[in-house]
Amino acid sequence: MPPPPPPPPQLHMPSPTTVHRPSPPPLLTTPPPQPWPPTQPSSQPARHPSPNPRRSTSRKRKPWRKLLWVKQDYPDNWVDPTFLSQLQRNINVHPYDFYSLVADSTVIVQHLSSVVIFVTSFIAISAERVSPVAVAVASSALTVAGWAIWDMGYEKREAATDMRQLAGLGAAPHSRTPSGNLVGGMTGGLHSRTPSGNGASGAAGSYFPPYPASTSGESGSPIKKAPPEVSPEVDKAHMKHAQRARRLTTAKSAALIYFTLLGLSPILRSLTTTISVDSIWAIATWLFLANCLGFDYGSGVEVKFPASLPTNAAITSSVVLASRLPDTTHVFSLILFSIQVFGLFPVFRRYLKHVSWNLHVLLTVVLVLGAAGGLGAVVGWGWSVVWVCGVIGGMGGCGWWLIGLQKYKNEIHGPWDPARPVIRRQWE
Amino acid sequence: MLQSGGVESHMYQLATKLIDRGHKVIIITHSYKTRHGVRYLTNGLKVYYVPFFVIYRESTLPTVFSFFPIFRNILIREKIDIVHGHASLSSLCHEAILHARTMGLRTCFTDHSLFGFADAASILTNKLLKFTLSDVDHVICVSHTCKENTVLRAALDPSMVSVIPNAVVAENFKPDPTAASKSHITIVVISRLFYNKGTDLLVAAIPRICELHPSVHFIIAGSGPKAIDLEQMLEKHMLQDRVQMLGPVRHEEVRDVMVRGHIYLHPSLTEAFGTVLVEAASCGLYVVCTRVGGIPEVLPSHMTVFSRPEEDDLVSATSRAIKEIRMGRVKTEKFHEQVKSMYSWTDVAERTERVYEGICTGERVGLMERLKRYYGCGIWAGKLFVLCVVVDSLILVLLEFLFPQSGIDTARSWPTKAPRMTDGGGRRDRSKRRGSNVEAVVEEDLNGVREN
Repeated sequence: MPPPPPPPPQLHMPSPTTVHRPSPPPLLTTPPPQPWPPTQPSSQPARHPSPNPRRSTSRKRKPWRKLLWVKQDYPDNWVDPTFLSQLQRNINVHPYDFYSLVADSTVIVQHLSSVVIFVTSFIAISAERVSPVAVAVASSALTVAGWAIWDMGYEKREAATDMRQLAGLGAAPHSRTPSGNLVGGMTGGLHSRTPSGNGASGAAGSYFPPYPASTSGESGSPIKKAPPEVSPEVDKAHMKHAQRARRLTTAKSAALIYFTLLGLSPILRSLTTTISVDSIWAIATWLFLANCLGFDYGSGVEVKFPASLPTNAAITSSVVLASRLPDTTHVFSLILFSIQVFGLFPVFRRYLKHVSWNLHVLLTVVLVLGAAGGLGAVVGWGWSVVWVCGVIGGMGGCGWWLIGLQKYKNEIHGPWDPARPVIRRQWE
Repeated sequence: MLQSGGVESHMYQLATKLIDRGHKVIIITHSYKTRHGVRYLTNGLKVYYVPFFVIYRESTLPTVFSFFPIFRNILIREKIDIVHGHASLSSLCHEAILHARTMGLRTCFTDHSLFGFADAASILTNKLLKFTLSDVDHVICVSHTCKENTVLRAALDPSMVSVIPNAVVAENFKPDPTAASKSHITIVVISRLFYNKGTDLLVAAIPRICELHPSVHFIIAGSGPKAIDLEQMLEKHMLQDRVQMLGPVRHEEVRDVMVRGHIYLHPSLTEAFGTVLVEAASCGLYVVCTRVGGIPEVLPSHMTVFSRPEEDDLVSATSRAIKEIRMGRVKTEKFHEQVKSMYSWTDVAERTERVYEGICTGERVGLMERLKRYYGCGIWAGKLFVLCVVVDSLILVLLEFLFPQSGIDTARSWPTKAPRMTDGGGRRDRSKRRGSNVEAVVEEDLNGVREN
């Protein structure tokens, strides 16, 4: 126990006039009486080389300690050199690189461009400057071509995903038969929800997102009993078979959507005709904004389903717009086009980015120029120049701006932060 | 007080001691379900329960100006000199300080809690705190860590922040060596069962401690959303006969629970001061606690075993403490007297009085200077704050016109005896006699928000 301390010193109150509080720097407003930031290590304040100027005591004092249970010969408002010595700033901030930021923004540019292309196509169709059938045929041809490219890399991609899942699960090595690959029947985009009709497990799997544990477990368990080595030719035959079955499924679901849409077109055309024109423009604008803001820009090829909110917003928007078109053919073409642009095209874009960076950049350039061409044809060439300049300026400017904003980053950590408990989850 | 948390008992004890020292203290709080109006507590401590609309867990809706008329009336009626606010989550407290400054009174603020800087709620609270503390005469924090936190949150000059810890009434936390079991070691946990009290750590650590030490028993008191996790853990590991869950206990009963144990376990994740640790040590318990917030400052190392906020470390720290107790190397019977000499409300009251004396001698600031201070709070917030202060001043003018000061009766003070030589507990002579010094009339303001 420390001996009873001498009568505690009086507080030294700064007069209010000396306390300046202008727009404060991040931490403090008035310079503290002691060197700042503290230069001494917190554990050893030792003797104060210069006593606090406000105290004119010359007697030697024990060093101040950051304790409450000892009565110390210091005023209650004493500011020690160790004050805030445990403060840490910006400990988990990593700097951005300008070119990688610009490169990452191409994904956003691609999506904005496809929205612009869709809107300009709608305007062109409704102004009867372009035949709706031409739009639908062209986009369908492009979709089929894209699907072909996408389908070529299917096996490789599945294998990669499997490897990732296995690595993640730490499961026993299992050789997945091609028939197991059918589980899910993932043909991308909206088609992926069509039942593959390939046995009970396949049908069950196709209705739900691919849950890695159950899928691999289901397909893996029978294989373990079978001889683990599958001969290459059998494997190849299986692969061929699986490929054929998958393409058939895709064709079936494509046909299903095509005819459903054909049947629904008259209804969709009259669905919102009673709503006034300016409401339609407003609704469509908000829905496209929701699509652009909610779009899942960050995900890679492993995502099987597009995020539901932005996709639904875009499709709804096109349904709403379709009611302004004069004919059922127009409606059908527009909605088919919108399903292709907003449902399937993002899947292809992700795949292309995954496969080749150069092709991704090429696609970006094509899309931006396409959107510029569409704008030029529909509203005027001045706007297309504005669009291109906006895209380039936006890509560079936003990256530069974000990097510039980093200097305001001021993360503060210290002993007052709630601790993060470290718990070994072995009792679960 | 219905919801007696750390802040409420702090205010009650401080007010009692200040009255003993010859000051006049009144407490203003919002009304509870069954309490409105004015009440007198022991010593003539007067409490105003002002009716307010309570939103959630005794927190009030921030209605910036609606409180002003009644507050001004009370201040004039009681002839108040200093307004002292408690608890940074209480909107009542912030409003009271703003209005008191508008009326030209001295203000003081005590911060009882720690806040981070990351999440949205903290950012909002910190902005509000900055608003209030832009124009306050002095700030009191309960620990040095709390001072660092408050200085950062409100951008204050650190020399206008004093550290005055909480205290305990040692007489209420006397050890009772006969109450604890002789055959096995009992570990006591008394805390609200919330995430930030580290209940997850407790849930993870108890089965392992029970497995390592077959003769150890637990007593857990307190309630909260995490109680269900604890019960599940007990059922899963079939520890019902070794872990006793008491549910919520009243503050008066805490001592009776504590003395049944040998070790007090406190796995909190954040804590500004941790009064309960002092209470436990005063009851003669060996304390095992996490090294977070202000806890390392509270007790000397021979009374505590510190742990990191990790499951493994908590288990090993508890094992160390059990071993020490078994070997008889900890002199827990001396803890009570030691704690008594470390923390007392008389000491807290003396130090608080010193703060009051300091702020009473400071210069008074004019409206323009106040506006300048508020304007510096931020680009947008500064303008908003200035607007608030200007409106507040205009309301004061209006109130002066509608209810002139001369028309308000002054309340008669509680008849007090001449200040005695001994303090309320009648234990020790006070070092300094206050004589007939009654110049500082203190008004405490509380809200029922518990300490975090």
